[in-house]
Amino acid sequence: MADLPLAGIRICDLTWVIAGPTATRVLADFGAEVIRVEHGQAADPIRFGRPILSGKPTLNNSGFFNYFNRNKKSILLNVRHPLGMELLHRLIAVSDVVIENFSSGVLDSWELSYEAQKAINPAIIYCSVSGFGHTGRDKHFTTWGPTAQALSGLTMMSGLPGKPPAGWGYSYMDHTAGYYSAIAVMMALHHRNKTGEGQHIDISQVEAGMALTGPAVLDYTVNGRSFRREGMPTGNRAWEPAIAPHNTYRCAGDDRWIAVACRNDAEWGAMVRAMGEPAWAGARFETLVGRLEYQDELDTRIGEWTATRDDYAVMAALQAAGVPAGVCQGPSDRVERDEQFRARGWWTSMPHAELGPEAGIDGVTPRLARTPGTNRTASPLLGEHTLDVMTGLLGMTGDEFAEYTEMGVFM
Amino acid sequence: MSGPLAGLRVVEHSGPLGQLAGKLLADMGADVVLVEPPAGSAARAVGPFVDDVPGPNRSLNFWYHNTNKRSVIADLETSEGASTWRSLVGCADIVIEDCAPGELDGLSLGYSALGEPRSGLIWCAVTPFGQDGPWAHYQATDMIGLALGGPMKMNGYDPEDAPGAPPIRGLGDQGYNTACHYAAQGILAALLYRDRTGKGQFIDASMHEACSSTTEVALPYWFTLRTDVFRQTGRHAAAQPTEPWLYMAADGKYNLIFGVGRDNATWAKIKAWFQESGFGKQFGEPRFDDPAVRQPGKGSPEAAEIMAELGAFIAGHTAEEVYRGGQERRQAWGVVRAPSEALDDPHWSDRGFWAEVTGEGRAEPVRMPGAPYQFSATPWELRRPAPKLGEHTAEVLAEWLGQQ
Repeated sequence: MADLPLAGIRICDLTWVIAGPTATRVLADFGAEVIRVEHGQAADPIRFGRPILSGKPTLNNSGFFNYFNRNKKSILLNVRHPLGMELLHRLIAVSDVVIENFSSGVLDSWELSYEAQKAINPAIIYCSVSGFGHTGRDKHFTTWGPTAQALSGLTMMSGLPGKPPAGWGYSYMDHTAGYYSAIAVMMALHHRNKTGEGQHIDISQVEAGMALTGPAVLDYTVNGRSFRREGMPTGNRAWEPAIAPHNTYRCAGDDRWIAVACRNDAEWGAMVRAMGEPAWAGARFETLVGRLEYQDELDTRIGEWTATRDDYAVMAALQAAGVPAGVCQGPSDRVERDEQFRARGWWTSMPHAELGPEAGIDGVTPRLARTPGTNRTASPLLGEHTLDVMTGLLGMTGDEFAEYTEMGVFM
Repeated sequence: MSGPLAGLRVVEHSGPLGQLAGKLLADMGADVVLVEPPAGSAARAVGPFVDDVPGPNRSLNFWYHNTNKRSVIADLETSEGASTWRSLVGCADIVIEDCAPGELDGLSLGYSALGEPRSGLIWCAVTPFGQDGPWAHYQATDMIGLALGGPMKMNGYDPEDAPGAPPIRGLGDQGYNTACHYAAQGILAALLYRDRTGKGQFIDASMHEACSSTTEVALPYWFTLRTDVFRQTGRHAAAQPTEPWLYMAADGKYNLIFGVGRDNATWAKIKAWFQESGFGKQFGEPRFDDPAVRQPGKGSPEAAEIMAELGAFIAGHTAEEVYRGGQERRQAWGVVRAPSEALDDPHWSDRGFWAEVTGEGRAEPVRMPGAPYQFSATPWELRRPAPKLGEHTAEVLAEWLGQQ
């Protein structure tokens, strides 16, 4: 069996909802032992999150939860019980990383600041993911992914001019704050490998979003131009680099669209040939200046050409000519029709006690040739590994476990 | 101070697609050398430009994505340039490139020629669709990645807001960014494996897979219920219509609202705040006391009344007042800001978020986003602004290769 790149790394995972679990999904995919510490009295709301298989939520039948929590273990631990907190200390003592995405101040209220964690485990890497970070005057403010998208500028950068913002359609910044957290944790692990030193990583979800708007901020600080101006955002037309055609065009069928971008005159020429050299595609569209100047007509004409055609057929024809083009794929398109995903074996399934023997899931990217990340287990049932972790990792006897259970430590 | 990646040598050959991956490593201490053709990386041709004057050193897109890197000119089509590339790769820990699959191998300058003989080298190839498969040689831009990968189809409008509107792409090269977030994850996982074993490897990073992995509920809905979610104005795509989240304030800016007073403690605070301003006079009636009837989307008249009063309240205040007032009352509300409007928010200055750079056309420092994460022991650091084209050719060849 191929070795996993993060084999031997143990994560004490106090995260919930999406941003934190995204980070630990990445670490688990690459082989870290991720132990989710869960609370029956205040369960991760994603365990109730739609889509739920067969109506009533059971805490274990959310497809949403399954997607973000594969390859992990789950233990129930009542941290409001002194013995539960003591067990959390013991888990931190044998972990490489503690990660949480509570509001700032929660871990302090548990008396588990970084300093306190360091007293338990001097080399611990503590990663906190919060809306506004653990310092600064507004550190007590809170976010969901969309709040972070709004405050960072990403929401405004998505939409048609003159319309309300469209974006983002999902919690892009829950995913992406999770990615930054996984990156940060792995960097800190590398530093610890070299020096033995752990550290605290303080991640603000809003800052992670602001870091994705660099050129827009510089256009203001250098050129004095804000995105809050007429004509912005540009919908699917190019902002920078300014190229045309660059848009989405309606195809035959219900809500079918193709995105097309010609980066230069040569690609435009290839597109004209692929369209059968229509008479309208003449002189004034031959140069970028002309295509930008007459972009309304250009888009109308291209839309007339695509409107009666199948989106995948348009993509194939344009790509055969070397023109960047892609269907706006929905989830069913990606899973059922996408030839690239199919050829690369992207879709798979893992058995899950309540979601069925073939609960669907995607693969692990990027692909490491020697030690690829893998799908090993579907998401854990709530508390599925409490006994294993307590009696195995933490060395508790069966009698102790029964006694602690009786006292309400594992709930 | 030096970052967690101090001491690592990275050779990068990338343009708009791959450049963030190199920045993520460079900003945390790695010595990243960007190898560019004589005309410069394609990213140098991407605007906006300083004073709208194009030039290899005037791209603000390049300024942002190439901090802390050094620039070496080497034309891989010439024997001299190829030799430089081989030598630099020969003393690198990590290579990042975003060439088409097979392009560098065709010049005998790819992983098969240079990487495989060196067991410790980590080589990350960032491409639109991955190294193999029927679309491996398809052409793509950021928008094409976001279209095929799925984000666009989730993002757009209710028909009443924009009849017939297409799926919408969020700007800012977020498809490229997502590809690079995954590329960096793969590089670091490979680095930790190398720390343990001394072995490197090839990494196949696909923007298509990265974007598809970044679509939240979309795939779970399909896997679990065989249902497609559909796009709705300014909020999440869902399998059913949901309540609006965006409300226009008195200054024309939008507030983003998630529910109002979900629990009784925060509801009491919200109620008092509204009523002080003359809104929600009926909220004192006992029928509003049950949290369940206050939640939108369930059809209760109380919820509808609350949202109507909320809309009127927001229309009578500025968006920043609503945002701050809500947050002070434990509501995770937001304000839809332009990216540059965060510059006026002192919280980010408190945290030292902004970095300052100079460059061609701007001798005085200007601000741009800084650290996406704060490390207590090995912090993010701006050691140098993005390099001018070829600025470090002699310096790097002397330092890395001992060439004078």
